[in-house]
Amino acid sequence: MGRIVLDGLTKQYGDVVAVDGIDLDIADGEFLVLLGPSGCGKSTLLRLIAGLIQPSGGRVLLDDEDITYAPPARRDLAMVFQSYALYPHLTVARNIGFPLRAARMPRARIRQRVEEVAALLELDGLLERRPRELSGGQRQRVAVGRAIIRDPRAFLMDEPLSNLDAKLRQATRAQFRTLHETLGATVVYVTHDQVEALSLATRIAMLDGGRLEQVGTPTEVFDEPASVFVAGFLGSPPMNLLPARVEGHDGRVRVVAQGVEVDLWPGEEVESRDVILGIRPEHLRQTDSAGPVGTPVLRGEVQAVENLGAEESAQCTVGGAVVQFRGARPLGLAAGQPVVLTTARDHIHLFDRSSGRRLAWQARQNQPTPVAPHR
Amino acid sequence: MSGTFVEVAAIPRATTVATARRPPFARRAARGVTPYLFLLPAVGCLAVWTYRPLAAALNLSFFSWNLLPTTPKEYVGLDNYHRLLDLPELRTALWITAMMTLALMLFTVVLPTIVALWTSAIGGRGRTVYSALIFAPVLVPPVAGAALWQWMLDPHSGAVDKVLGAEINWIHETRPAQIAIVVITGWHLLGFAVLVVSAGLAGIDEEYRNAAVLDRASRWQITRWITLPLLSPTLVFLALMTILMSGTLTFPLIDTLTQGGPDSQTTNVYYLLWEYGFQNFDTGFASAAGLLFFVAFGVIAVGLIRLSDRLTFHDS
Ligand SMILES: Nc1ncnc2c1ncn2[C@@H]1O[C@H](COP(=O)(O)OP(=O)(O)OP(=O)(O)O)[C@@H](O)[C@H]1O
Ligand SMILES: [Mg+2]
Repeated sequence: MGRIVLDGLTKQYGDVVAVDGIDLDIADGEFLVLLGPSGCGKSTLLRLIAGLIQPSGGRVLLDDEDITYAPPARRDLAMVFQSYALYPHLTVARNIGFPLRAARMPRARIRQRVEEVAALLELDGLLERRPRELSGGQRQRVAVGRAIIRDPRAFLMDEPLSNLDAKLRQATRAQFRTLHETLGATVVYVTHDQVEALSLATRIAMLDGGRLEQVGTPTEVFDEPASVFVAGFLGSPPMNLLPARVEGHDGRVRVVAQGVEVDLWPGEEVESRDVILGIRPEHLRQTDSAGPVGTPVLRGEVQAVENLGAEESAQCTVGGAVVQFRGARPLGLAAGQPVVLTTARDHIHLFDRSSGRRLAWQARQNQPTPVAPHR
Repeated sequence: MSGTFVEVAAIPRATTVATARRPPFARRAARGVTPYLFLLPAVGCLAVWTYRPLAAALNLSFFSWNLLPTTPKEYVGLDNYHRLLDLPELRTALWITAMMTLALMLFTVVLPTIVALWTSAIGGRGRTVYSALIFAPVLVPPVAGAALWQWMLDPHSGAVDKVLGAEINWIHETRPAQIAIVVITGWHLLGFAVLVVSAGLAGIDEEYRNAAVLDRASRWQITRWITLPLLSPTLVFLALMTILMSGTLTFPLIDTLTQGGPDSQTTNVYYLLWEYGFQNFDTGFASAAGLLFFVAFGVIAVGLIRLSDRLTFHDS
């Protein structure tokens, strides 16, 4: 069992609020990824759950028991530290076996478990080395091994893959997934790598400045970002965000900006408001200006074209804003060329200009329901 | 269509090797010399105050001389060394030195470790106050301390016997005299040693202890498996200091309290050397002894420094 509930959790360092009133219910067996930019409070949140630091306010509950002030050892959690924290004087085998040794397991059993874990993490030949004789990625795997050798109530992992090369990272990611599926353990996993977050998580908690921006499945977070911050964090390149205005015009609801015309749906009495228009680079298509009437149109000029390997990304200016547009290589564009882009109406996101929160369309009663731009 | 496959050309390996021009010799020489220039004053002082007397002692150890300028030195070869190694007093003094050094470790290694571990949780102003309190004896001059203790150890009116409710003649009985020398020296050094161990503890990354706590190790397990091994270079350093300096540190106490007695049972090697050199005026003999001790302690120091290096675990 390992249900973790955070209730208004806050941690202040002097004037700095590292973690700011977080409510989160992490179900047993969930793989929750804490995602956010550097310094947003991910490690601090993890340490609060581990009990290594004490909160300035709020509570931590583990299986409905208040453990806010319980010592770390009583919580029965395993943690992978961002700095690995491998014991420098012990060999790899002893580092990995440390939790079992502390639990007074017989030596032969420890040896056997260590070998199993080492095989899983491809550390076989390194068991007699000391941490300083390992590469960064190898150290990281030892730290992971020390955590997974136990059967704790939950795993806390602070960027456990950040130092691995692309191939090993993908392999270890797959191992984590299998491990999570077989053990069914609760995992709280910190990363600032969105691919890792999207591929591993059952739910993602997006953090910014110590606050929760959005909590949802990878699909929800990616397809319906709750705020400009989330939209601008996910995707590579991230979502294009342009200042625009929603207006009712000629019996249609439209989003307009310089060089941008997006026709949404029929409707007259919509109050005008300043918005941010969001479109993902991969959802843009090139079109000729004589497209069917009513399709969204962005007119701009190509600034630069970037080779991404399988694809190409073009950086364009539309009005005063920069728009990234991504598609199969070659795009057939060159710098200085005028370009007309379009997208499906479903792929249009709107956010409030001042609060940055997502806008959803709510149809008035007695009116034909317009096709919502997003479900 | 007819044609043929042609291999894509490989990048040719460079054949001509251009060598970068080295900076002129004068500049390189100046750069190389600078660090040694900075070392010069220190090395100069060492040469004048340490190495020159050492050389003089080496020279004197081959002569028989009574320190009087009017008496000529008489060359005796290795005779002084032969006499020294046959001397039964030397063996006794060595044994007493070793015992006292070992006993001193209680005050310079064992107790400081225990005190530092127990007090490591004290922080802020409390820490400053306690550090000052425990460090205070270090600042008492050894001879002043000895005089004070002599008064307190008096068998009739001394505070120590009153507190213990005993009538021990601390200075004139063998065992009590040895204990008194060791304890008073230990009292002098304890504060310093505690500060050294505390600094060593502060240098251990707290993350190791955090990780061990999360791995559900008990306090005692963490101390034994994590803290003490990581502290071992500090402890070896303290042991080294004790071995190298116990002879000199106990000297003022021996001289003021017991003068090596009773029955030479508090005479350590340095006190013996001093007696021969400056009471019997057997200069050549004392020089030979000094050189012998210098070499012996040098060998012990090298061994312990090697051990300390082996015990130091650099992470990252
Ligand atoms: N001990 C501390 N004292 C003061 N401020 C701290 C302390 N620890 C963290 N902070 C501050 O709290 C904020 C959050 O830090 P935290 O380490 O949780 O970030 P993070 O999200 O883990 O970043 P990264 O991705 O770089 O590891 C930062 O602004 C940091 O400067
Ligand atoms: Mg961090």
